[in-house]
Amino acid sequence: MASYFENGSDALVPDALQGFALAHADLVTLDPGHGFLLARDTAPARRVALLSGGGAGHEPMHAGYVGRGMLDAACPGRVFASPHNRQIYEASLAAARPGGVLHIVKNYTGDRINFGIAAERLAHRGVPCARVLVDDDLASDSGEVATGRRGTGGTVLVEKILGAAADAGAGLDDLQRLGSRLAARCRTLAVASAAHTSPTLGEPAFRLGPDEIEYGVGIHGERARRTAEKGPLGPLVERMTGELLAALAPEPGCTLLTLVNGLGAVTPLELYAVHGELVRVLGAHGLAPARCLVGDYATALDMRGFSLTLLVAEPSDLAHYDAPVHTAALRW
Amino acid sequence: MTTTARDTLSADAWIRRFAASVRATEAQLTALDQKVGDGDFGSNLAAGTTAALARLDSLSSPDDAACLEAAANAFLDEIGGTSGPLFGLLLQSLAATLKSSGATTAALAEGVADGLAAIRRVGGAAPGDKTLVDALAPAAEALRAASGTAPPARALADAAESAWRGVRETARLRARMGRSSYLGERAEGVPDPGAVGVGLFFASAGGVVRDLAPHLG
Repeated sequence: MASYFENGSDALVPDALQGFALAHADLVTLDPGHGFLLARDTAPARRVALLSGGGAGHEPMHAGYVGRGMLDAACPGRVFASPHNRQIYEASLAAARPGGVLHIVKNYTGDRINFGIAAERLAHRGVPCARVLVDDDLASDSGEVATGRRGTGGTVLVEKILGAAADAGAGLDDLQRLGSRLAARCRTLAVASAAHTSPTLGEPAFRLGPDEIEYGVGIHGERARRTAEKGPLGPLVERMTGELLAALAPEPGCTLLTLVNGLGAVTPLELYAVHGELVRVLGAHGLAPARCLVGDYATALDMRGFSLTLLVAEPSDLAHYDAPVHTAALRW
Repeated sequence: MTTTARDTLSADAWIRRFAASVRATEAQLTALDQKVGDGDFGSNLAAGTTAALARLDSLSSPDDAACLEAAANAFLDEIGGTSGPLFGLLLQSLAATLKSSGATTAALAEGVADGLAAIRRVGGAAPGDKTLVDALAPAAEALRAASGTAPPARALADAAESAWRGVRETARLRARMGRSSYLGERAEGVPDPGAVGVGLFFASAGGVVRDLAPHLG
């Protein structure tokens, strides 16, 4: 197994941030001391700053979504680890607008706690702060898991729509409500046919046989609750989509946003095949994507897997989704 | 007794004494955390208090609120993990209320109550989950009960006693939050290290006022 190209494991994330800032100097500035990226310019009408973050290793999430029409700032932690509360706090102070700052947080314990501590510090400074918790992962939807569903690929869609709403001048409460509604109507399911390479060991984080897949992985290389038989793509996408539809129960003719997301080591060739199957299965249920994204948007290092996300949107969400965006990883 | 906190409580002395107690018990805290957590609590808390001392030493006007604020920022800025920064939240709330009302029993009660609320918001733990909340909640309650009548010296001594009762209680509990929640019954019989840290924190304050009170009339 090939190891990572890096100047030592502690150097990779700071090196990558530096390189990212150099590559996208028109979009972002880097605060190397605290380790966050700040958008050079987002819409002047924006009253509330949007900030996200979480472990590194999910590229282009989170840095790739900083810029016009999306995030004001992003704080990546170390690989698969939450950013420190200080990073979030300093980034929030740097990005905050008169209406405050909205934290878009993926539901993982470390992220919840560190963003929570930063929010308490901001409150002491008199900076209004609210949180949208994204918890879209269907595989962790279980009464036995007290921590609730994980936050994964759906975050990209939520951040895009919130970005446009913020550009339109929405206030903190409205953005928080909108984000929560979007998260509630968004579910994701992910599978993997091979683990990511562990950054510390340089070896696969777990091993699967050639006929096996992990059904229901997260974005930190966690194993799924079950290993399934691999089989051809069609029935797999059918099963995944069926479970997502059962959870969301969308009405025929609804505004459906879809994301076929690579987890780092799946080829575009495969992802488009997945998308084709997804559209076919949705069609059989009387549904069609109003908009779709296909590609690597929220990865798990080099995990050989993909996720499917469905978001049941309102027509007003669609207008926000279509609004212009100019970031390193998403632009139209 | 009409003593005011200004006469008997020095936040600077409180934090320095807390740092000394943590240093003196670091090995025991680590041993406890090796039984129920990931073993880093002793060094985490020691790193926090060491960072706090460095910030205290560089304060130009070390009034009570400034000392607590400096200690809060040391825990919040410089310490990783979760329990260290949670102590930072408690210190931050105390700094805020002492800043607006002075070091009265009522301000201490309000600060600890605010800190408890912040910690519960952030960590999601409730009393009975076998976390530091199980020592902090009774300490907050003791301060609240005392705040109408008792001078800070007495109120903080009560808070320390209540915190230690809470610590002993955590030994009986099965964890529902934090690292030890993964251990099930294996963590039973061991007090929660974070709760012990809270006990040390209030005992340090109680110690300071007990030492000073007789000499301040």
